[in-house]
Amino acid sequence: MNMGVNLCGVELKNPVIAASGTFGFGREYDEFYDVGSLGGISVKGLTRLPRLGNPPHRITETPSGVLNSVGLQNPGVEAFIEKDLPWLLEKGAVVVANAAGSTEDDYCYMAERLSKTGIHILEMNISCPNVKEGGVAFGTRPESVYHITKAVRAHCAKPLMVKLSPNVADIAEVARAAQEGGADAISLINTLTGMAVDVRTRRPVLANVVGGLSGPAVRPVALRMCYQAAEAVSIPVVGMGGIETGEDAAAFLLVGCTAVQVGTANLHNPYACPEVVRGLEAVCAQQGVQDVRELIGALRLD
Amino acid sequence: MKRLTAKVLSCAPLNAEMGLLTLALPAGAEAAVPGQFAHIAVPGDRAHLLRRPISLYSVHDGILELGIAAKGEGTRRILQAKPGEEIDLLYPLGRGFDKGAMRRIAFVGGGIGVAPLRFAMERFADAQCRAVFGFRSRDLLYAVEECEKTGASVTVCTDDGSAGFHGLVTGPLEEMLRRGEVDGVMACGPTPMLRAVQALALRCGVPAQLSLEEHMGCGLGACLTCNCKVKAKDGEFGYKRVCADGPVFPAEEVVFG
Repeated sequence: MNMGVNLCGVELKNPVIAASGTFGFGREYDEFYDVGSLGGISVKGLTRLPRLGNPPHRITETPSGVLNSVGLQNPGVEAFIEKDLPWLLEKGAVVVANAAGSTEDDYCYMAERLSKTGIHILEMNISCPNVKEGGVAFGTRPESVYHITKAVRAHCAKPLMVKLSPNVADIAEVARAAQEGGADAISLINTLTGMAVDVRTRRPVLANVVGGLSGPAVRPVALRMCYQAAEAVSIPVVGMGGIETGEDAAAFLLVGCTAVQVGTANLHNPYACPEVVRGLEAVCAQQGVQDVRELIGALRLD
Repeated sequence: MKRLTAKVLSCAPLNAEMGLLTLALPAGAEAAVPGQFAHIAVPGDRAHLLRRPISLYSVHDGILELGIAAKGEGTRRILQAKPGEEIDLLYPLGRGFDKGAMRRIAFVGGGIGVAPLRFAMERFADAQCRAVFGFRSRDLLYAVEECEKTGASVTVCTDDGSAGFHGLVTGPLEEMLRRGEVDGVMACGPTPMLRAVQALALRCGVPAQLSLEEHMGCGLGACLTCNCKVKAKDGEFGYKRVCADGPVFPAEEVVFG
């Protein structure tokens, strides 16, 4: 059975990528299994300079979901290039470098800097809901998505994947804007903005007051948005949002995604990614599918 | 192997708010150090996604005991486990207490923070151990007799005076430190207590180790959600991961507030 897919020119061993922010740089999970066996690893969101992130609390549980506001804590792009990237490449991992910034100049710099390294795909994060400047501010209006994608495109020698926010009125329009700006692929959804309140103390649970909701709670919304985005563009779509099993992943492929990312599931199950790979293989076997690519966009609407 | 399936041997009340979950560790479970924790999946449903970090109450002869406070729906479900049921846990995680060269240790605990100290006193019984435990009231006492059995002297304090001294743990601790009776402090409890222990220990020049608590995600050091504030170079501050860099930190490193 073939599980490999081609994502904008990059061969993935299978369509399952670990999602940014839930997987660090892969080292913690490599204690449990060979992270090089995954389709890819989208690393912790990187910025030009090291970032401290938000004060605690940064996480809380909601029904079938998780609300977080880490605020892009990361050691900075140079530390990643020096310490973590060589290790990931040695593992044979397809490295998706998730990059964020506060200004257009930051994003262009990140694209240029990371293009000079061995990363495979640049995932431009214009959808982080947990930082004051930049992040999602670039990702909510189609005009600004087009503008920043076009600007970064000129500085990016790697396949450029734009990670979209679900906190928009019309996801199809935003997806088209990324494509028109020159994106090679889009990934979605980033978290849905949410909030939790401790009634006893009358305070927000998260120090940042609001955070991003992920996990199975958002899966139907994510699936719908991936369906609409895949209908709207001709570039590959990488789907995510609450995927925990092979069946979940198959649903995202059926609505038109070329690959999927698994995020929140890593937080409670260190084996979540390889289990999704095996589960997807099982779905293919049950359906007599010889090549996982047969599932992509095979949704029946008749 | 850090992800284990452990069989429930029993689950019984520990005090008015806590239960004691006793598990049979499977063969191949790694040895644990006091202060480390188990990251427990909520059994029975898929709505409670995150694991619950629970400190180790005792580990002996392949048996793991966990003192768990029923704080919310997730911990209540864990405490409903019946003998023979299986619990999914990541174990052991984090960095625990380090006895180092300490020969006379003061253990300072408050409420559920007493639980990991019970394991530490069991393991460090070759040192001269003295404990000061604070509880809100008499019906919340636990672990006192077990700790006394390790040969330690235990001073009980309650907020309402219904048992032991009427007052805070810092009173008896301060006396011990002033008299030079201990050369190390290990503490776990609510933040105001830890802040007071930190201040006392630093003032008296006695090394202290504080076990912190924070909302937690993966428990492995990857997701960066359980951060705590620590001192960094040049008077700046930084964050460390409670799950992987802690939960036990040197007192001089921790910044409260």
